[in-house]
Amino acid sequence: MVGTKNKTLKVTLNYIFTIVFLLIMIFPFIYLVLNSFASWDQVDKHLIPTSYSLRSWQWLFSNSVTVAPAPWVQAFLHTFIVSTITVFLMMLFAVMVAYALAKIEFRGKKLVDNFILFQMFFPGIILLIPQFLLITKVGWIDTFQGMILPTAVSLWAIFMYTNFFKAIPDTLIESAKLDGATDMQILFKIVVPMSKSITTVIFLFLYTERWTTLLWDMIVSKSDSTVTLNVLISQMFGPYGTYPGPMYAASVLLTLPLILLFLLFSKNFQEGMQYTLK
Amino acid sequence: MKRRNNKLGWLFTSPYLIFTTIFFLLPLFWSFWLALTNWNLISPEIKFVGLENFIVSFKNAKIHQAFFVTYKFLIVFVPLALILSMLVAVLVNRLPKFKGVFLVAFFLPYLSSGVVTSLIVKGILSYNGPISTWLRNSFGWDVDWLGSPTAALIVVSVMIAWKMSGYYGLILVSGLNSINTEIYEAAALDGVNGWQRFWKITVPMLYPSLYTVLILAIGVSFGIFTEVYQLTGGGPNGATNTWQMEIYNQAFVNLKSGYASAIALIAAVVTFLSIGVLRNLIEKWGKHYGWN
Amino acid sequence: MKFKRLALLAAVCATTLFGLAACGSKSSEQSGDKTTITFWAAPNPPQVKYWKKMATEFEKKNPKITVKVSQMKESPTSEATIQSAIASGTAPTMSENITRSFAAQLAKSKAIVPLNNDESTKNLMNDVVSGRNMTKTIKSWKFSDGNQFVVPLYSNPMLVGWRLDTLKKIGIDSVPKTYSDVQKVADALKAKDPSKVVYANPTVVDPTAYQRWFDFFPFYDAASNGASFINGTKFVGDKDAGVTVFKFMQDLYQDKELITKKTTDPFESGLSVMNIIGPWTFPNWAEKYPNLKFDDTYTITSVPVPDEMADADNVKTYADAKGVVLYAKATNAQKKAAMKFLKFVMSDVNNDVSLLKLTSLLPARDDASTNSAFKNYFESNPEMKVYAANVPNAIPAMDNADYNTLQEKLGNDGWIPAVTGKKTPEKAWADMVKAIKGAL
Repeated sequence: MVGTKNKTLKVTLNYIFTIVFLLIMIFPFIYLVLNSFASWDQVDKHLIPTSYSLRSWQWLFSNSVTVAPAPWVQAFLHTFIVSTITVFLMMLFAVMVAYALAKIEFRGKKLVDNFILFQMFFPGIILLIPQFLLITKVGWIDTFQGMILPTAVSLWAIFMYTNFFKAIPDTLIESAKLDGATDMQILFKIVVPMSKSITTVIFLFLYTERWTTLLWDMIVSKSDSTVTLNVLISQMFGPYGTYPGPMYAASVLLTLPLILLFLLFSKNFQEGMQYTLK
Repeated sequence: MKRRNNKLGWLFTSPYLIFTTIFFLLPLFWSFWLALTNWNLISPEIKFVGLENFIVSFKNAKIHQAFFVTYKFLIVFVPLALILSMLVAVLVNRLPKFKGVFLVAFFLPYLSSGVVTSLIVKGILSYNGPISTWLRNSFGWDVDWLGSPTAALIVVSVMIAWKMSGYYGLILVSGLNSINTEIYEAAALDGVNGWQRFWKITVPMLYPSLYTVLILAIGVSFGIFTEVYQLTGGGPNGATNTWQMEIYNQAFVNLKSGYASAIALIAAVVTFLSIGVLRNLIEKWGKHYGWN
Repeated sequence: MKFKRLALLAAVCATTLFGLAACGSKSSEQSGDKTTITFWAAPNPPQVKYWKKMATEFEKKNPKITVKVSQMKESPTSEATIQSAIASGTAPTMSENITRSFAAQLAKSKAIVPLNNDESTKNLMNDVVSGRNMTKTIKSWKFSDGNQFVVPLYSNPMLVGWRLDTLKKIGIDSVPKTYSDVQKVADALKAKDPSKVVYANPTVVDPTAYQRWFDFFPFYDAASNGASFINGTKFVGDKDAGVTVFKFMQDLYQDKELITKKTTDPFESGLSVMNIIGPWTFPNWAEKYPNLKFDDTYTITSVPVPDEMADADNVKTYADAKGVVLYAKATNAQKKAAMKFLKFVMSDVNNDVSLLKLTSLLPARDDASTNSAFKNYFESNPEMKVYAANVPNAIPAMDNADYNTLQEKLGNDGWIPAVTGKKTPEKAWADMVKAIKGAL
């Protein structure tokens, strides 16, 4: 009897420890949200503000007496457009290339396979300046293509999908072939639907990565007509430095969609993660 | 039997091939060429200067600094990330129920943007912000978080370790899960204590996951940019000036694209070699445990 | 079915992608007889507000010209943003926020338009200068090649603010004038309110070149009675004044009365009692700190001077003077439209009244302190009167195209190590002179 009691106590303590540690780990998010709703004389004054108002949020979107609003909503839309299209292309290209690498024999396949591995370990920093010059030369500076296309292939996604597709039995594909299906049909009707959980994982990682990209977007975007929210917040660091409340509100705007998206897919994510980590 | 079909294979890999030609191979050769010129992005004249950019950068104290700063980040950030993620993994792994829910919650920091984290850290650590005021009033501690070279380096490392902890924790949990509990039971019978158990059983059995985490973390510490750009600007006095920061500043602030390309090439070689050496070391460590 | 849907989605994505791009490129060119010009306003929110207002009013009267105003980005400084925009061919038609030094640098690389010389701007430039009454002001903006690249917009003397409420509490009744007076404040704070400090400014240890305009030069100009620092391509800095300023700051720092850690609004929140203040701060105060009242909680006065200058009148300071430039890649039609816009804004004195009201920046015109149009404004804003009165005491930035490098050396070799006590004031000055001379 003493043993079970001890055990329950131990389990309870474990939960308490974990919850306390979790609260510490996600405190920055709590701090962010609370401060975006804090009255202005409370921002950055206490760990938990003591009085609240909507002023920061109103200020962010309204044409205040002293300040013209920055294009927060537009920037949010740009972030959405750029991230969605880029990640869509990344996934589309990744399944195609991975299907070829996993299920089709062709001359040069080994070379492509090895080159992808080489690129994955290649320090991409070398490419930054010439890629910028390339974009400048073709007139894609300050355009969405300039932000999207140079980031539209993810080697990591190809790598992950290739490993996953290899585990799909060839007989499945052969029998579909006998039924007269083309490879495109097999890929999108059979193979892709089978990879739901890993697709969720890849999608979430890619989307997070793209949504919070700073360096490349900062280099390509030069005006309000293309600026993304992450870049805008970064560039308003100085000018809006004396308005931390609204800056926190804008940051909530940037962070919240990712959290919601993640929680929405969290079940698939867990399944997928278990698979990818095996 | 896989089917042989050259045309189909090339067709399906064509997005990758086109992309790699345009956005990888072309820029790669371009950057070799750029590194040999003195082009400043604006001027119409491009002068070929041979190896001058490399000679100048080898002599430049700022480049030496960037070289060492990267390793300092490696030394501070990798252990920090490992400790935090280990803590996440061990805590979650001991729970009988709701493991998944907790893992998802611990993963949330990974979704933060470095820009936003910098904003929070700047506010929370400012001299008259909550933490500094509290430390000053309760203990008389007056820390110059972003103004002292050591503190600034640690602050940035903690920020990134915080972001990565849940992700790495997830990898470690799956490693812990795969350890057979019978081994622990057998060890308990032999009278092995907790600390020994951790070093003699858990760590060796966890090696594959630890390997993944270490490689990922090492990669991260060679590519630090956003937090440094946003929060310290590479300061104080260059104490957080990473390769990426120096390259960005030379290329896009001082507009010295030739010189910046030379630095980028040096940085790439250093990064490539360092990661290679570190990987070898970690793999040796694994062999010691009987992993290949 | 699924594949079809997917293909459809891809097609939609592709069309939106290129559709958006097409929209983007179309709007920046001229279509038909309509001209679009882009204007980058300073990275200061009230200035963006002012220029947006001007653009709307101008467009009403000139339906054939569209003026697109947006805020200049800081990545990481506005100068860097402009240069990289020029490099990538995405510079705007025109922008404000240009100092004499930066204009010299841009002119050297032929990135801006010589307004008095260019066929499409020549005549309109004359109209702007005479229309705004700037014939005298513009002389100091003439470059050594005789050209005029900048239309001066405003000029602000940098002055010092003191928290009267805190001073009173610690028993100091007169506003400090000399270094000894400041020392007295430091001693009184230590004795009566040790949680507060004399001066808190994190940018003091920021090596970014332009910061020296706002932390070093006001004190240097005051201590040297306006001696030049660099004349053309020669270093002529006043050593005695420079070393005295270094020593003054070092003493404050070592006394823990100068804080260089990151702080949030130290003067406004009452943490520090002194600060260097530019008038653009006031709109922000009106919104965020309505409790700050001139002559009650704070006052504005000239920069503190060494003790032997205690009786000096007309203490000198740094002038934050900025203007508007046109970028060289603009088409002739755009140049003309841009000058028309400037003429519209500058020839009506009421627009300068708006400038004062919205941004608290002092219009760069010959009659700034005498024009009756401003009378009402200065009467209801007495703090701004102090700034207006100090315009003649303000010294503009150096006219060297390499100012960035030079001021970086000033910061890294002299100012920062001196303030933080890493070098003696004398050694810091000597090292700095050596570094600057090496770069000239």
